[in-house]
Amino acid sequence: MFYIHQTSCISHQPTFHEVDLENLNRSDNNQLLAVEPKYSNIPIGQLRRMGRALRMGVGTGMQLLEHNQTDGIIIGTANSGIEDSITFLNQILDYQEGRLTPTNFVQSTFNAIAGLLGMITKNTGYNATHVHRGLAFENVMLDAIMRLNENPEHSYLIGGVDEISVRNYRMEAMAGWYKTEEVSNLDLYQTETPGSLPGEGAAMFIVNHKKDEAIAKLRAIQLLNVLEPKAIAAQLSQFMQQHLSDTEPIDLFLSGENGDQRFFKYYAACEKVIGPNTTIARFKHLTGEFQTASALALWLGCHFLQTQSIPAHAVKYIGDRNGLNRVLVYNNYHGEQHSFMLLERGGGN
Amino acid sequence: MSKIVVTGVGIITPLGNTLRQNREALKDGLCALSSIEIFDSRYATLLPFGEIKTTNQNFKDQLNVSEPGVTRTTLLALHAFEQAITDSGLSAEEIQSFDTGFISGTTVGGMCISDELYHDANHNKVGSAYLNSYDLGSVSIYIQKRYGIQGITDTFNTACSSSANALMYGARLIQNGFAKRVIAGGVDSLAKFTINGFNSLNILSSAPCRPFDAERSGLNLGEGSAFLVLEKEEEVKGKKIYAELSGWANTNDAFHPSSISDNGEGPYLAMKKALEVAGLQPNQIDFINTHGTGTENNDEKESIAMQRLFQTPPAFASTKSNIGHTLGAAGGIEAAFCLLNLIHQEVYPSLHFSHPIETTGLYPVPQYEKKTIHHVMSNSFGFGGNCSSLVFSKV
Amino acid sequence: MDKEAEKLKLKEHIIRYLNLLQVTPDDIKDDMPMFREGLGLDSIDSIELVVMLEREYGLKIENPKEGRRILTDVNSMMEFIEQGRAKQNEA
Repeated sequence: MFYIHQTSCISHQPTFHEVDLENLNRSDNNQLLAVEPKYSNIPIGQLRRMGRALRMGVGTGMQLLEHNQTDGIIIGTANSGIEDSITFLNQILDYQEGRLTPTNFVQSTFNAIAGLLGMITKNTGYNATHVHRGLAFENVMLDAIMRLNENPEHSYLIGGVDEISVRNYRMEAMAGWYKTEEVSNLDLYQTETPGSLPGEGAAMFIVNHKKDEAIAKLRAIQLLNVLEPKAIAAQLSQFMQQHLSDTEPIDLFLSGENGDQRFFKYYAACEKVIGPNTTIARFKHLTGEFQTASALALWLGCHFLQTQSIPAHAVKYIGDRNGLNRVLVYNNYHGEQHSFMLLERGGGN
Repeated sequence: MSKIVVTGVGIITPLGNTLRQNREALKDGLCALSSIEIFDSRYATLLPFGEIKTTNQNFKDQLNVSEPGVTRTTLLALHAFEQAITDSGLSAEEIQSFDTGFISGTTVGGMCISDELYHDANHNKVGSAYLNSYDLGSVSIYIQKRYGIQGITDTFNTACSSSANALMYGARLIQNGFAKRVIAGGVDSLAKFTINGFNSLNILSSAPCRPFDAERSGLNLGEGSAFLVLEKEEEVKGKKIYAELSGWANTNDAFHPSSISDNGEGPYLAMKKALEVAGLQPNQIDFINTHGTGTENNDEKESIAMQRLFQTPPAFASTKSNIGHTLGAAGGIEAAFCLLNLIHQEVYPSLHFSHPIETTGLYPVPQYEKKTIHHVMSNSFGFGGNCSSLVFSKV
Repeated sequence: MDKEAEKLKLKEHIIRYLNLLQVTPDDIKDDMPMFREGLGLDSIDSIELVVMLEREYGLKIENPKEGRRILTDVNSMMEFIEQGRAKQNEA
């Protein structure tokens, strides 16, 4: 459990400076590339070496660290600077293992974002990077929960980042994870084919145990591995029983549905558990699908709680609850890695 | 807080496929650094490496792996994982219980198969069998599926301290009540990717590495894997216990992407905070398995950090002189070596040392000897400023 | 190619290899130190420059200590390139 105080987000939508979720940015060529800002907060000597993931991660991280002292940095990323990795790999093969330029190699180490944030802000505290594919960011949250249990007075920067790399996209597309037909993000949920639309982005949060002035409270989280839809539904039901009383209904179910018909059954099973009174919204048409998209789901959850509104294009089903106090996020990656997050408005009760 | 104890160990290094073989080789001061024999690289015979001389096909036969798309990194991890759970006597039921976690650290993951990746990323019209096996998570996800692990599963990357952090995370999951037992450690296999990466930074030595020697000229890369079974002391009635994982810390040097600061701030803080978690004074540490890579930068800065904390540092050695730097696996493998120090009350020689570094004047352990050891420390530092220290204590 | 054109080319290579954002060849003075106070480069950049000299000029720097001297500024790099050319012509 922790409180979320400040957030920063770069995504395919305008989320970094002035947030505008009403006028949707359309996908371009079946991809949802991030709208990158100018990054005036990254030292130019560092910026020149960074690829997209590093820029997005360090850019969002710095937006928060410029104004906050933290006791550590915990980042989730499945691939970090994968474009740099493959650029370096190509050099190895193209120059037959001759003399190679080290920058791509150093920048492609998966802990580069957390490392650079630590270096730029001279933060010698806890510094960790979780890379467990579709549960990388969930492990970040769990790590932060434990750090704050152990050090209740601490404050941490946590976040999730991943980039669409041209060459990695090629491979993921060959593996069948993306739509082969031309699809707009506006029509993502109407498709009846396998695959989703790839996205990228970064979302960062300042978290601690201070209730005052918090945007939201993360009440609980659960990570699950390969399971059948029925078992996921049973786990969700148990999760709700364990963490919510009868007087604490879920107002919004934020679903990671991604247009891949192979995984629809998981979301359908969870919607049944949630029941008919809860509003259902979806977010992958805003962000695209990627391993750490759940970080953006957490950002959106915080934003909805803060603004007390949900853009109409995100709503799948309107329930009958008044107000927006509790959000439950369910996401899965490739149908193999699942997570629940329970989020509450403000400092909670 | 509950004590976290080690009830099982699985290990594979260039010194051997079991903990016993590794101990014998360490006792004898064996150096397993050699030319590469089983994969293709321009540097195969130009530089020494810590290569495990078992082919992927042999591993697949031994481990009963028949599906396509399984990389060497996964095979090494699987070997160590199977050994660890067998050693600890975990039942299938325990492994599949929701309160059994599995945490692995790695830096290269499936990118060990550089050539296939190159063709899949750039040229192939139809992907190879490895399309879903290149990322770091692929290794632990394969093992998770194979054993039906349902508890918290994670892959950690803090460069060369990855598996030290995996162990730390495992211990914390237990202490915080998110798991009753955790299988934690790490793995890395030799790869063109890392060989050329470290070579581009001019830090690979053309001779077997000489940790803490004035004439050291860089590191050697190695491969291997180790996993430890961590459990709550009160849960392990009657089981064999290797040691207690009593202290840990993760800090950042916050100085440079690939080298340590002049006064070794990150390493100093990691060692200091690990002692605090263990509730120990510096003079209670009897032995340190250092990071000791053999690079100009690391060994001097690590020495400075040890002198800052301990004044006169305890006995120390670098087992990288035996097997090279196994990157993401190093923290796990060296943790297993620390257990050997504790169980057998002995220390092993640090190889290829002749003259101390002028500025610090420290001498690593020169030869095998019996030694009374209550507490050992293991250091792992990595790119990105990531520094970690673990403390193991006799039970 | 005259010497000024050669220097311009070298500066363009430096900018490209190091991806020096917002730096133009004019900003790099011939005697401006590459490291620390001048362009503010570090040890990783110095390796990038060694690779640049090898790939663009066919010149190898084997000894890292010698490298530090050669990479002092544009003038010293130019001198190394000219000496290297002279040697290549002799051979």
